[in-house]
Amino acid sequence: MRDFLLHNVSPFPADETANGHGNMQIRALRDGFVFHLLGRSDTDTATVEKTIAAPIADLGGELRQLAPYQWFWVGNATLSQERVAEISAALPSMLALTDQTHGRVRLVVSGPQVRSVLAKGAMIDLADDVFAIGQSVMTQIGHIGAMITRTGDAEFEIMVLRSFAESLWHEIHQMAAEFN
Amino acid sequence: MSSLVKCPHCGLRPREEFTIRGEVPSPRPASDAPANAWFDHVYLRDNPRGEHREYWHHAGGCRRWLVLSRNTITHDISAVVDASTLKAGTKS
Ligand SMILES: [Zn+2]
Repeated sequence: MRDFLLHNVSPFPADETANGHGNMQIRALRDGFVFHLLGRSDTDTATVEKTIAAPIADLGGELRQLAPYQWFWVGNATLSQERVAEISAALPSMLALTDQTHGRVRLVVSGPQVRSVLAKGAMIDLADDVFAIGQSVMTQIGHIGAMITRTGDAEFEIMVLRSFAESLWHEIHQMAAEFN
Repeated sequence: MSSLVKCPHCGLRPREEFTIRGEVPSPRPASDAPANAWFDHVYLRDNPRGEHREYWHHAGGCRRWLVLSRNTITHDISAVVDASTLKAGTKS
């Protein structure tokens, strides 16, 4: 646990309407939490889901696997440092939790043309019948490492390291510009 | 479209997501092996025409080290496995 209070400041530009895209919505998620869970090499998703069933029922959010034995637990609740420490301390030794709320940030892109927008940067298949709602992948948008999660019919959440937020924000707006 | 590599963890991914480390070298010599055995292990690579085994790192995805069997003439990929599945000290 950190021994000082971290004041979270969103790295995305403050004025979201300044970029007005008619058909495309690009929205920064400024609240919530991102936890990294690291398991032993015999840990599978089902086990992790069971292990954190109680806090996940309490706090909400979902598990997204980024690599073997590694998951992000991402949710929209705002948590105190004490609560994070509590959750972490309650985990069995097979799981290690790191708070990455300050280090990974999220935005949501949605609109009927969202796949055409993302296809300019992402090199994976995001087709409706291939990439289901709730599915997520660790991949790249251009040269930026990003986790893409499908959150709706034509809605995707993108999570990147904080230092790439501004660059990604700019890029997504550029990519969406033709659908204005 | 770029060439696609089937990561055992992530599925089909573009080649751009990977970093190629190079040939999977012969087993590590014993610590008291002669200098020329160590020189061979550290510096000399086969650069074969045909079947080749290489370390690839899925830097843009799961960030796991993989061993990829590739034909250097046709670029056909016959197998991709997680490097941790290789037994220590053996070539396969
Ligand atoms: Zn992978």
